[in-house]
Amino acid sequence: MAASPMEQFEVKPLIPIHVGGYDISFTNQALWMCVVVGAVSLFMAVALRKRSVVPTRMQSMAEMSYEFVANMINMAAGEEGLKFFPLIFTVFLFIAASNFFGLIPGSFTVTSQIAVTFTLTALVILTVIVTGFIRHGIGFFRLFAPDAPIYILLFLVPLEVISFCARPMSLSMRLFANMLAGHTMLKVMAGFVITLGGAGGVYTLLAAAPEVLIVGLTALEFLVAFLQAYVFAILSCIYLSEALHLHDNH
Amino acid sequence: MADTAQTTSGTTVPQEGGFPPFKSQTFPSQVFWLTVTFAFLFVVLWRYAGPRIQGAIAERRGKINAELAAAEQSRRGAEDALAAYEAPLIEARERARGAAEETRTKFAQEAESAKAAAEQEADTVTAKAEERIAALQAEARRHIADVAKDAVIEIVGRLTGETVSAQEAAEAVQNAVKG
Repeated sequence: MAASPMEQFEVKPLIPIHVGGYDISFTNQALWMCVVVGAVSLFMAVALRKRSVVPTRMQSMAEMSYEFVANMINMAAGEEGLKFFPLIFTVFLFIAASNFFGLIPGSFTVTSQIAVTFTLTALVILTVIVTGFIRHGIGFFRLFAPDAPIYILLFLVPLEVISFCARPMSLSMRLFANMLAGHTMLKVMAGFVITLGGAGGVYTLLAAAPEVLIVGLTALEFLVAFLQAYVFAILSCIYLSEALHLHDNH
Repeated sequence: MADTAQTTSGTTVPQEGGFPPFKSQTFPSQVFWLTVTFAFLFVVLWRYAGPRIQGAIAERRGKINAELAAAEQSRRGAEDALAAYEAPLIEARERARGAAEETRTKFAQEAESAKAAAEQEADTVTAKAEERIAALQAEARRHIADVAKDAVIEIVGRLTGETVSAQEAAEAVQNAVKG
């Protein structure tokens, strides 16, 4: 029985909760968010329980993730960007863990929902805007006007404004679409295997082809899962860097 | 599109078709639970994991630096100890060389003086011996004159039958020795 490839993205309420006209039911997605956050928290708790000078394997992994993100921020936004370390660290681990948990067959991919990716993006962009105005006041609008002659600025300023406004879109869409497309593709291939396998005769043998493809795609999805978390985090760093330094060091 | 063969526990699941991620009636719930879980993770990482990892890294770096410094200090201590150990050794060697030199010169001097004394003694002995030889020679020469005189008297008596006085014989010998 082949289910629709889109069925895996259906948000289904498990415990209905309605507060003030809003449906904030505890859904299968909420359950997986709790699993993701719980797993990351538990990992950190166990890894850092002893906090020894000579790290255990898990502590070493925790330190690696820390230094990976710290280096990323340092590279993209400089020493000052480290103020945002907790935010970027959380964003990176949340997305990476969600993507990886989404690869478990039968699980729900939290980041395959536009509402989730857009909320995360909104958090980052709002942080960028607030940081920019706190640091530069009204001068933050210079972000839209790089050093250039006035006749070039006439074209450049609209472009910069469009580019800035497109960021939340591209940032949220990229993650959402990558997760959605990858998982849909796996489901479609799996559907082929079942359909062909049930068809009998020579078709049953042909079912091996999509099966092999699924194995390859799954490996690719692991790469994408990490890469998208990395891309999201490093783009957040770059946007924050612009809010901190405007165009000064670009 | 959606599967209707669902047995969700009596909830009002909207099962109308459509692209699931764009079903806006699920958005409040998604945003709410994302906010809750994300905030939880943020607090965990910000308040617990971050500082602990940073602490562990800083502690390790501090310990490594401290131990490197301690190792450096130990090395310097070892070098000092080596120098302190070698100094008296060098001094002792110097002293031993000095003592040997001194002893050698002393013995050389002693040998020199002993040799000188021995030579002096040898000289006196030689001089005495020479004196005695000279005396003996003189004595012998005198004896020879007497023997020659006796021989003259005998030879003349036997050849000529004349007796020569001792006086004449002595003179004749004297002349012959002189001639």
